[in-house]
Amino acid sequence: MISLAGRDILHASGKFIFTGVGLGLLIGVTLSMAGIYRGMVDDADTLLDNSGADLWVVQQDTLGPYAESSSLYDDLYRGILTVPGVAQAANVTYLTMQVGEGAREHRAMVVGVVPGGPDAPGQPQYLVAGRHLTRGHYEAVADLMTGLRLGEQVRIRRNRYKVVGLTRRTVSSGGDPMVFIPLKDAQEAQFLKDNDAIIHQRRRTAANPALNRPGQPGTLEAVLASQTVNPSVNAVLVRLDPHADPDQVAGEIRRWKRLTVHTRAEMNEILQAKLIATSARQIFMFLVILSVVSAAIVAFIIYTLTLGKIREIAVLKLIGTRNRTIAGMIMQQAVGLGIIGFMVGKIAATLWAPIFPKYVLLLPGDAVRGFLIVVVICVLASLVAIRAALRVDPAEAIGG
Amino acid sequence: MAEAGLGIRIQGLHKRYGTGDTAVEALKGVDLAVAPGEVVGLIGPSGSGKSTLLKCLGAVVEPTGGRMTLGNDLIYHDGWRIPDLRALRRDKIGFVFQAPYLIPFLNVTDNVALLPMLAGRPNREARAAARELLAALDVAHRAAAMPSQLSGGEQQRVAIARALINRPPVILADEPTAPLDSTRALAVIRILNRMARQYATAVIVVTHDEKIIPTFQRIYQIRDGRTHEEAGLGRTLE
Amino acid sequence: MTLPKIQGRTLALFGLLIPLLGVFLWLTLTSGPLAPVPVTVISVTDRTIAPSLFGVGIVEARSTYRIGPTMAGRVRRVEVEVGDQVQPGQLLGEMDPVDLDDRVAAQEAALHRAESGVTAAQAQVRDAQARRDFASAQVHRYEQLLSAQTTSEDLVGAKRQEAQVTAAGLAAAQANLESAEQELVRVRAERAALMRQRSSLRLLAPVAGLVVSRDAEPGSTLVAGQSVVEVIDPTSLWIDARFDQLGAAELRPDLSVGISLRSAPVGSLTGQVLRIEPRADAITEELLAKVSFATLPDPLPRLGELAEVRVILAPLPPGPALPNAALHRRDGALGVWLPGGDWPRFVPVETGAADLDGWVQIRSGLALGDQVILHSQAPLSPWRRVRVVDTIPGVPQ
Repeated sequence: MISLAGRDILHASGKFIFTGVGLGLLIGVTLSMAGIYRGMVDDADTLLDNSGADLWVVQQDTLGPYAESSSLYDDLYRGILTVPGVAQAANVTYLTMQVGEGAREHRAMVVGVVPGGPDAPGQPQYLVAGRHLTRGHYEAVADLMTGLRLGEQVRIRRNRYKVVGLTRRTVSSGGDPMVFIPLKDAQEAQFLKDNDAIIHQRRRTAANPALNRPGQPGTLEAVLASQTVNPSVNAVLVRLDPHADPDQVAGEIRRWKRLTVHTRAEMNEILQAKLIATSARQIFMFLVILSVVSAAIVAFIIYTLTLGKIREIAVLKLIGTRNRTIAGMIMQQAVGLGIIGFMVGKIAATLWAPIFPKYVLLLPGDAVRGFLIVVVICVLASLVAIRAALRVDPAEAIGG
Repeated sequence: MAEAGLGIRIQGLHKRYGTGDTAVEALKGVDLAVAPGEVVGLIGPSGSGKSTLLKCLGAVVEPTGGRMTLGNDLIYHDGWRIPDLRALRRDKIGFVFQAPYLIPFLNVTDNVALLPMLAGRPNREARAAARELLAALDVAHRAAAMPSQLSGGEQQRVAIARALINRPPVILADEPTAPLDSTRALAVIRILNRMARQYATAVIVVTHDEKIIPTFQRIYQIRDGRTHEEAGLGRTLE
Repeated sequence: MTLPKIQGRTLALFGLLIPLLGVFLWLTLTSGPLAPVPVTVISVTDRTIAPSLFGVGIVEARSTYRIGPTMAGRVRRVEVEVGDQVQPGQLLGEMDPVDLDDRVAAQEAALHRAESGVTAAQAQVRDAQARRDFASAQVHRYEQLLSAQTTSEDLVGAKRQEAQVTAAGLAAAQANLESAEQELVRVRAERAALMRQRSSLRLLAPVAGLVVSRDAEPGSTLVAGQSVVEVIDPTSLWIDARFDQLGAAELRPDLSVGISLRSAPVGSLTGQVLRIEPRADAITEELLAKVSFATLPDPLPRLGELAEVRVILAPLPPGPALPNAALHRRDGALGVWLPGGDWPRFVPVETGAADLDGWVQIRSGLALGDQVILHSQAPLSPWRRVRVVDTIPGVPQ
């Protein structure tokens, strides 16, 4: 038996490879799209993993701290610590802001954590360089995406922080890299505005006769002092005893502390169903469109290749080649094109994935699924060409 | 050698296109018989039904009436036809066209050996048979070349080899010499004659090529849907 | 039989396809979830952990003198500017006395009058004394005359009565004098009080020091207790430092500290913990402590300037130690990952003291020289292969 498809591919190998590479780049885009979606889901997962918490205690009736803003008094965690089943509870603040100055400014999520090494909830899980926070002030652990280096000073609002550690894949649900700083600094950063704003605020307060009463020395100072205190945090991260039931502990806290508590499962739900759902649907639409476009392109390429051979096909049919043989030839070419395209696409997607600003996660399972889809699409796309080939009248080969 | 009753024989072949008032009768009772080893010419002006006759002979168009036998097989008989025309074309009819129509992505050997290979004969056997034929046609030295590397005459010889690979009882040659100069055209006819004798094949050459008409012993002239047998000049080719 | 043409094409095609396949497989295995995680390793080393505490404080003066009037009034003049050095008793400013000087003049007049009263009363006493002396002399003479029977009994009686009258007159005059003297004391005391009040409007420096603020200008009216100027003793500067309660148990007085001021973060000053406040801050969860400078820098640190304080605690005996980046929590246990060939292995450890540079003592679970994973490019798990590298790819050097 002779493989007509193989012979044709060998004969037109240049055209075939270039077409395959072109198709491959398109498949690469499609795979990257899937990778972006997986990356978003993984970002959400990593966000939860990185917080190292089993429960998130947030302001009542909010979806905080990632999906909605939430504000709690920073001494509430002590009460939560007394709930049975709670092993650790730590305050945490999240604030997305510009970090750094000038050209090196970066949008980042500043996370205020209680310094205490890898043991405390909220700390990054692993580092790629340096160490965890140890001092109570003016140290930072930054994500690689911020472009910061070890030992560098970074300005966050009023203060400069020394970068003592670097992490990777610590991003907010929006993909902004995280910068971890000690909680108290973060509270200050969250509340204290720039110097001008503080001075304006002082002036405004001093101009208010109700706060600056003549004959009551000290009132103004007390008011000013109270204005620069921020006893709030965004959430309390709770780590449970190994055998505690999260739902039960969450119920206790909800009932007695009058706070909203999210378990890991609920947090997943919030992040994936509410926060990234729209983007995910957007990407899914892109995936569908790209798949359709890829299918159309494969169909078009195969159809064109087939039309270019229509006289040979007529001759083949005239001299008695079976339809099955001709259909097989076209389908094998389509699938071959798909396989080359898939490999090129996978390589391209893998190579350009690190260049993307947001995380692109290429799962082997997705690759396998993608491969099967590519093959199915190629088979379907070749049907048009096969149909055209089978409609060729062998009589056309005979002149007149 | 030629054997009576074999070769191709058609009697009263009719072909009508369309139905009712718009029906066109292209063939109005054609009679034709070619013995194995014989090469006959089929000539006629455009619109005479020459093409339709060729398609009926080539089993790609079914006649509406009449009878055709190929070797010992009955092909058509008044509206009945053998079920598998494709297998018939593959096994019993060799085609040589005006242009060689070789498969561009197969080399010369594989072009010739294609049919038996597709039919499932071992590749090596099929290629050996092909090379044998190519040797007989004096193109063995181009066995590994691609069709695009051959001259027109070489291509036509390869096409003849392809037509012969299944040892068909009949070869239909449709204007096989049209693109060739007279020397090469006569060479093709010479080959066809030689092959017809060597493989006991009936050869029908459809042509209006004045260069080769004088070479036929017998000529069927087709006019207005009917054939008229004439004696050819039978000019010797050597 | 060889088919050179086809073979050439085949070779070319496979020459393209096989590297493609190779690259494909290589990328599949070296990137993405199937790839080994690059990690760096570190050995457990013997190390003296010098635990230290990190605190933040504000430069403050030990005592601040807020100098102002004791009663409501208007500022008449302020003699010093911020930054002036002052000596004890130096006039800093003065309040407007309003009518105080007039009242002093009135008291002066009343004093003079009281003094004259005393003089008059003294004269009266002397007069009454003279009359009584004469009357008693007359009584004596007439009694002798009566014993010589040269006068009548009646006359002697009249003289006796006269003597009694003059004695009473003397007593009255004496009482009068005493009263005048008391009046004089009263008026004098009143005048002294006014004078003192007057002098309290003069704002004097209580100690030698530095004027740090001038809160009121001449003409402004203040209530009692508001300050006109603030004076500090510049030699008494200290740092009001706050230390996170976490791990601050070792904080003791007299520990030496390193101080860096926000204005000069690299300059390193030294000092010592003066005292730990008995009362901690419950809201910020910090301990409060006072830190004094070993030698005061020149120029003086500004009041209210932010200062970082590093307290170096007594070093612990050397022991196995690891950077804190090597520690991970897994299933509720703190431990480290050992590279162990391709697949990492988690080993729980018990940790001890830690220092500010991130070194943590390992009490048990590891031996000196054991290699553990320090940094990794991705989370570790026993089902993910690792590859030891010098630095994690992508980390800027």
